[in-house]
Amino acid sequence: MKINSLSRDDALRALSSSENGLTQAEAAKRLGENGFNEIRETYRPNFAVRFLKQFTHFLALLLWVGAGLSFLSAYLHPGEGMLTLGFAIIGVIVINAVFTFFQEYRAEKAFAELKKLLPFNVTVMREGREAKIPALELVPGDIILLAEGERIPADARVTETHFLKINNAALTGESEALLREAGPAQGELLGSANIVFAGTTVLSGSGRALVFATGMSTEFGRIAHLTSAVESGLSPLQKEIVKVTRLIAVLATAMGVAFFMIGHLIGREFWGNFIFAIGIIIANVPEGLLPTVTLSLAMGSQRMAKRKALIKSLTSVETLGAVSVICTDKTGTLTRNSMTAQKIWSDGRITDARDFHASKGDLLMQTALFCTHARYSEGRYTGDPTETALLELARKNIGDLDAAFIAEIPFSPDRKRMTTIHRFQGDLVLFTKGAMENVMPLCSRYLTHGVEQEIDDTFRLQATQACHHLMDAGLRVLAFAYKTAVRYDPASLIEPNKQSSRASVGVSLENDLVFAGLIGMEDPPRPEVPEAIRKCHDAGIKVVMITGDGSRTAVAIAREIGLIQGDPIVIEGHEFNMLSDRELKKQLAGREVIFARMTPKHKMRVVSALQENSERVAVTGDGVNDAPALKKADIGIAMGISGTDVAKEAADVILLDDNFATIVNAVEEGRAVYENIRKFISYIFSSNIPEIVPYIAYALLKIPLPLTVMQILAVDLGTDMLPALALGAEKPTPDLMKQPPRKPDERLLNFGLLGRAYLFLGPIEAAAAMFGFFYVLSTGGWQWGSEMPANSVLYLQATTSCLTAIIITQTANIFACRSFRESAFRIGLFSNRLIFIGIAVEVLLQLFIVYHPWGNRIFSTYAIAPGIWLVLAPFALFLFCAEEARKAVVRSI
Amino acid sequence: MYKKILAAVNGHLNSEIAARYALALAKHLAAKLYICFVAQKDMSQGDRRAAEDAMKRLFHEALEMRVRAECIAEIGDPVTRIGRVVRHEGIGLAVVSTRREDIEKRFFTGTTARSLSLKLPCSVALVRIVHSGRVHPKKILVPLKARISHVSEYAYFTATMARTFGSKVFIFHAPKKVTRFFQGEIHLPPQDREQLLPQDITRFMAQLEKQGVEHESKLMPGGTGKSITIEAFAKRHDLIIMGASKRNLFSSLLRGNPVEYVLRETPCDLLLLTPRHED
Repeated sequence: MKINSLSRDDALRALSSSENGLTQAEAAKRLGENGFNEIRETYRPNFAVRFLKQFTHFLALLLWVGAGLSFLSAYLHPGEGMLTLGFAIIGVIVINAVFTFFQEYRAEKAFAELKKLLPFNVTVMREGREAKIPALELVPGDIILLAEGERIPADARVTETHFLKINNAALTGESEALLREAGPAQGELLGSANIVFAGTTVLSGSGRALVFATGMSTEFGRIAHLTSAVESGLSPLQKEIVKVTRLIAVLATAMGVAFFMIGHLIGREFWGNFIFAIGIIIANVPEGLLPTVTLSLAMGSQRMAKRKALIKSLTSVETLGAVSVICTDKTGTLTRNSMTAQKIWSDGRITDARDFHASKGDLLMQTALFCTHARYSEGRYTGDPTETALLELARKNIGDLDAAFIAEIPFSPDRKRMTTIHRFQGDLVLFTKGAMENVMPLCSRYLTHGVEQEIDDTFRLQATQACHHLMDAGLRVLAFAYKTAVRYDPASLIEPNKQSSRASVGVSLENDLVFAGLIGMEDPPRPEVPEAIRKCHDAGIKVVMITGDGSRTAVAIAREIGLIQGDPIVIEGHEFNMLSDRELKKQLAGREVIFARMTPKHKMRVVSALQENSERVAVTGDGVNDAPALKKADIGIAMGISGTDVAKEAADVILLDDNFATIVNAVEEGRAVYENIRKFISYIFSSNIPEIVPYIAYALLKIPLPLTVMQILAVDLGTDMLPALALGAEKPTPDLMKQPPRKPDERLLNFGLLGRAYLFLGPIEAAAAMFGFFYVLSTGGWQWGSEMPANSVLYLQATTSCLTAIIITQTANIFACRSFRESAFRIGLFSNRLIFIGIAVEVLLQLFIVYHPWGNRIFSTYAIAPGIWLVLAPFALFLFCAEEARKAVVRSI
Repeated sequence: MYKKILAAVNGHLNSEIAARYALALAKHLAAKLYICFVAQKDMSQGDRRAAEDAMKRLFHEALEMRVRAECIAEIGDPVTRIGRVVRHEGIGLAVVSTRREDIEKRFFTGTTARSLSLKLPCSVALVRIVHSGRVHPKKILVPLKARISHVSEYAYFTATMARTFGSKVFIFHAPKKVTRFFQGEIHLPPQDREQLLPQDITRFMAQLEKQGVEHESKLMPGGTGKSITIEAFAKRHDLIIMGASKRNLFSSLLRGNPVEYVLRETPCDLLLLTPRHED
């Protein structure tokens, strides 16, 4: 038993209230007990805390330790450049923190948009008098006065109505006017005719209602709580980056400690070993990875925007590529949301709407013309797409007729029909349209060839078969009925109605009707949708349709667009409510699933169940009550044209054209982004080996240090960055959408990728780097084992040469990393022009480091002879050819 | 187990609504209901009158429902006085409502509700009224931790509530996420997750089954408090029944307190049970 099922007096008694409302003292007491009537955001760390968190993750902690040790070293042994290194490491931490924060941070505005839907002031009864109070001060037990155009401030039980019609669109997404009644009702609160909800609007009429829930206890509060509390968690890419950084951090530390120990065992001095250990750690950490990932995602989001998918959080770019299920609305997303009347069933036969001709006296067309809210003015139809389609059909056949509107019994989800009463040609006529199953039982006669006849079982069967036939063709079918010479007392509808149920008045009129016929309307699929669905199937992505339409219509449309081929699992709203979570998950594991007669409130449960089945889910939505599902899903997709501001703020992606095909395009871009991230990780990681090997050689071979820590940072945070970004801009390859979605346990940094970078490409670069170093030393007259002052020109040139070798081989590596299998020639050497810009910037930076005094001072370099560049160039060529050969072998296996 | 049930009322509407849970239970169990009001010395005249009116209303409702009822009104400290009544009458269960000011205090330190919950020598059901529109719960969410004290009484109480209101019980367990250092969070498939159902919860479910109560279970790894409220919000549960927190102040400060979180954020009425009857 809920408050909707209580009589008005019992409801007042249950809340210790009365028609005169509460006393001021009681209201104040209840305000103290229940708190303000406001929606509150659940606690989340503020901007500063979230930013500071970026400085405390595992990799950052490791770098903090490195910086601390550098400062300690500088304090104990000044003048060895450790102070600069310490600051450089802090610079790396800050750069990474800023980029990661930029990638993760998204201002939460959905909540602010929700707040806008609640009113500021409200009129209540207090101590028997009307009083205007701030809506914040409303308490359970208050009697609120409802008037046309006002927003409702709290959930309340209607106690008195004067033609009170409300619009629940903010809650349910359905914009039909709903008539409210004062009598008791059964069933859920959300579907009860005697309940009004916070955030919804009074369309017309007036009334009084008893507040029973305020603030976060309201339905609106429920949506607000879910919108602010539900988190989709880390994106797949963020999870992978956490794993990668942990792996690298452990690897770097272990290598640093191991080589420190080895240095100690072979008798090197402590400080030498210490610098060496820090160098190893710095060389292992790909400092430029996080900024490059962020910039690459930003570029991906720009490409998606060009394809009409606006990305709100950067990580969503890649998450889109990982989705395995797309839950999509039908109307407006898969279809055009432009209804046209296609078929008419009257006089026992189905006629194409284009071939249908009727006289002005045709009662089917008159019903379609009068029983509507749609309007035609200034050459335009306005109103609900279904009603405008019917009005257009009727006007085309019988033109405009004059009739005076008398009354209306509005549509409601449980009645599934609407009725109007008009004075037409001096007579009162009642027109009804609605779902077949809700109109047919009200009819006692039917119209055939202008004659009314008694309905029998044969006719019922015939009409039902016709209805099914039209639905199976994907049409939305409405039944039409009328009654002439209606006798009723207008006062029964117009007089203020307190306890009596208006529906009962309506029902008393809605009987003994004449069944006029059926009209089937089509909302045609968007032309690009079948191709997009085919792409999804090729890409192993399951598409689940969630629609408010009946199952037959849904199945027919799904079949037409290629969404289903076999016998799909079709779950209707009422069955959905009966399913346990376990049963639902079992059903969702099916290959083809359609949800029919659903409302948006069901979406979040569907998303949760799919996620529990280890799926990565994208869901579309446009209404306020879609917001929790949009937040819960891995990717929430809001409609840019038809979506509410709340839905847009809750979503990760906004479709600028409301088109399903755009989602598929965005998925393709998302997959390309992930592939590109793997490509530039290969590229970045390859340069780790020529950064590590000089340190190992320094420790084991007792030679001068071939590469300084600052030079390592010059590669990782300087010269590597733009070429890596250019790899991030590679276009999607044609076979990308022919592969299944990557598995949740598939690693970004797998053995194949690491092996190629560390054991194949890296060693070639390391050989070039060491060759460059020794080449300069030997041509400069250096003898093995001889001491080398850190500021001698020969030593500075040797380290510069080592660094230059890395840069030169990296320019070839960028071409090698454009594909894991395909030859660079096959892809097209010039198909990504950004690569050449990247290389140009890389070389210019290196020229600055080698030949400019500032570059020399910062990076401890010295100008080298141009001939050395030529000596090192063959290594680049070798790397490129070796990789081409490897790819050829891989392709042949 | 609950032959005598006490409902404590004060001058607030919430206590009256909470008492109706006691009334319904008493009706179902054919128990005697004690409607008890203890006026504190500093209580306003208006509050006293409101409490007395509430007592009268409840008494009349009890009569209408043919529940044996007795009203007790006393003056003094509520904890001491109600404690005395409980001991004297041999009360099995006391139903007490929380107040907003209780919830605003961290860990309810120094609140009457906490004192009653800790000190009364009977089982105590602490009720937080949130939604006056859902008079009778149809969907009861029962979040359970891995180790449950007084499983039998807890199950009995839940089953009785379910039978009283003809409700379905939804058992919810939020274990810690399974994580590995290098792999991060391990996402277990549903069938593997269900293998992790702790023994006490299995016992609890067995007892519900024995008493013929329809129930469903769900495991959802994650932060306990937040997971419970999201589940309650998302599935539109009408009532949450939870065990009272056993965490002390220090432990709550360190590890957080899911019960406190749920008390603050619950979207529906919440019933915190402190069971006293031995298994």
